[in-house]
Amino acid sequence: MITAELLSKDYGAKRAVDAVSFTVAPGKVTGFLGPNGAGKSTTMRMIVGLDRPSGGSVSVNGRRYAEHAAPLREVGALLEAKSMHKSRSARTHLRAIAATHSIPTRRVDEVIELTGLAGVATKKVGGFSLGMGQRLGIAVALLGDPQTLILDEPVNGLDPEGVLWVRNLARQQAAAGKTVFLSSHLMSEMAVTADHLIVIGRGRIVADAPIEQVIGGHNVPTCTVKTDSAVELMNALAAANVHLTRLDAETIEVAGLDGRAIATRALETGILIHELTPVRQSLEQAYMALTQGEVEYQSGGSDGPSPMTNTRQEQP
Amino acid sequence: MSTETMKRPRAAAPGAAGNGKLSFLGVLRSEFIKFFSLTSTLILILATIVVMVGFAALSTWGIGQTMGMLASNPEMAAQMGDMDETVASLPASGLIFAQLIIGALAVMVMSSEFSTGSARSTFVAAPTRAPVFWAKALLVSIVSIVVALASILASFLVAKPIADNYKLPLDFGSEAFGRNLVFGVLYVLMVALIGLALGTLLRNSAGGIVVLTALFFVVPIAVGGFAPMVSWLADAARFLPDQAGAALMKMPGAEHALEPWASALVVAGWVLIPLIGAALVLQRRDI
Repeated sequence: MITAELLSKDYGAKRAVDAVSFTVAPGKVTGFLGPNGAGKSTTMRMIVGLDRPSGGSVSVNGRRYAEHAAPLREVGALLEAKSMHKSRSARTHLRAIAATHSIPTRRVDEVIELTGLAGVATKKVGGFSLGMGQRLGIAVALLGDPQTLILDEPVNGLDPEGVLWVRNLARQQAAAGKTVFLSSHLMSEMAVTADHLIVIGRGRIVADAPIEQVIGGHNVPTCTVKTDSAVELMNALAAANVHLTRLDAETIEVAGLDGRAIATRALETGILIHELTPVRQSLEQAYMALTQGEVEYQSGGSDGPSPMTNTRQEQP
Repeated sequence: MSTETMKRPRAAAPGAAGNGKLSFLGVLRSEFIKFFSLTSTLILILATIVVMVGFAALSTWGIGQTMGMLASNPEMAAQMGDMDETVASLPASGLIFAQLIIGALAVMVMSSEFSTGSARSTFVAAPTRAPVFWAKALLVSIVSIVVALASILASFLVAKPIADNYKLPLDFGSEAFGRNLVFGVLYVLMVALIGLALGTLLRNSAGGIVVLTALFFVVPIAVGGFAPMVSWLADAARFLPDQAGAALMKMPGAEHALEPWASALVVAGWVLIPLIGAALVLQRRDI
């Protein structure tokens, strides 16, 4: 269980994380989604005490990370690929970390086996590919068999087989009742791995909900309609909460009405429609919608007048 | 029944990681593993001993040659006076290299953590941070004492037969040699601890080594050059770590130096202020 309360981090005048509050619960995979530079890594660094919060607090299982008697047994963290000395072997790197908590060498060999590094364990880390470095980072995270796993962009640089492996690992750990907190800027990855999503943009939490809800929450029913009388149909459908976009001469995108409503209206006005396709919104679109809002809110706040583009279509 | 017994041990598997806690001894062991797992470290230590021994042999031979030449001229031999002090310092004549190499090594014990990114792993494993710093300080102390001691003793063993050959009075039991031995070891220790503090404060190997070199080589040489012209400079120079150290050990040539108690205070200041400052900064700054 990770609990952040009004957690903030300033780098000089720039606010990287802005008073975020969230809880990461055990027993499921919680995805931490946001564009690069949104504050994901900074938040994760604050959880394990590498960065000191400028405001607020964050605790793991009720205590600050550094206050635990055996931090590595509490939290396993993969923060950045290659957080290690290039001239040491993978096994020595693990042994040095294990020594701090008197973790037996047996466990070192176990995580080497588990992460598929057995063949390269005695090789110098400097020659590792990004993917192997990532596996070693995950081996470090698993070393103390912690209750909580924090993985920052774990699939970065992994081959498809590795991506699948990380996905299964995260799911297995969550199924075993552990807290799994996983960041990514790849929405597709989140869609298949996470149960719960925390979306961050510009240092603020823009969504914190089960994954279906994040996708569904911004899912205004949308259809594309083909008709020979596009202008007439647009006039017929126009309403306060309906968003109409002319895609080409005969195609209109209708947001805010479902297929049945559009067809009913067309029948009433005697306009022939020859194609009606519901558009299912993807997580990607939901994510864009969420983070886009955050960006506009930010620049609108500092640049004076609010952008006109958003309100145009809502004029009756 | 069978599935039950199959599942039980798996549920108890977390024991694989043991149940040890984060401890200072554990962190110290971790630092030793890290230090001695780098080939470059071992090469540098070996190089230190080789250079020290080589220098001792060379300078003993040189002094022996000179003395042999002078011996044929009774007038000049009389002027030479007591050679005991010079001869006793011969096994430590390569000390300047030892302090440079060990000092640089001490800087890198911390700065390399930051340049390679391993600091993240280190300080996630030991988030209280202070144990890491003091474990490194202890490691650096042990290494510098052992290396300085080993290289001066090895130098003695090599220089002794050469000195005997020229009938130079190099004696292991003499007060002068004992003083040189202790001074050499403590001097390297002081340089190493200041180096560790610089590496921690600057988090940069090159920067740390440059500042350390400036402090122990450039500044003393510059001060030595200008002191005859600028009177207050000689006074100020007594507060430099090398001069205070020499005065503390009552090394020859330090007659105008500070009182022993004042020297002790200055040396302690040069070591403790950077160390404590570095520990505090490490505690506060983001990794």
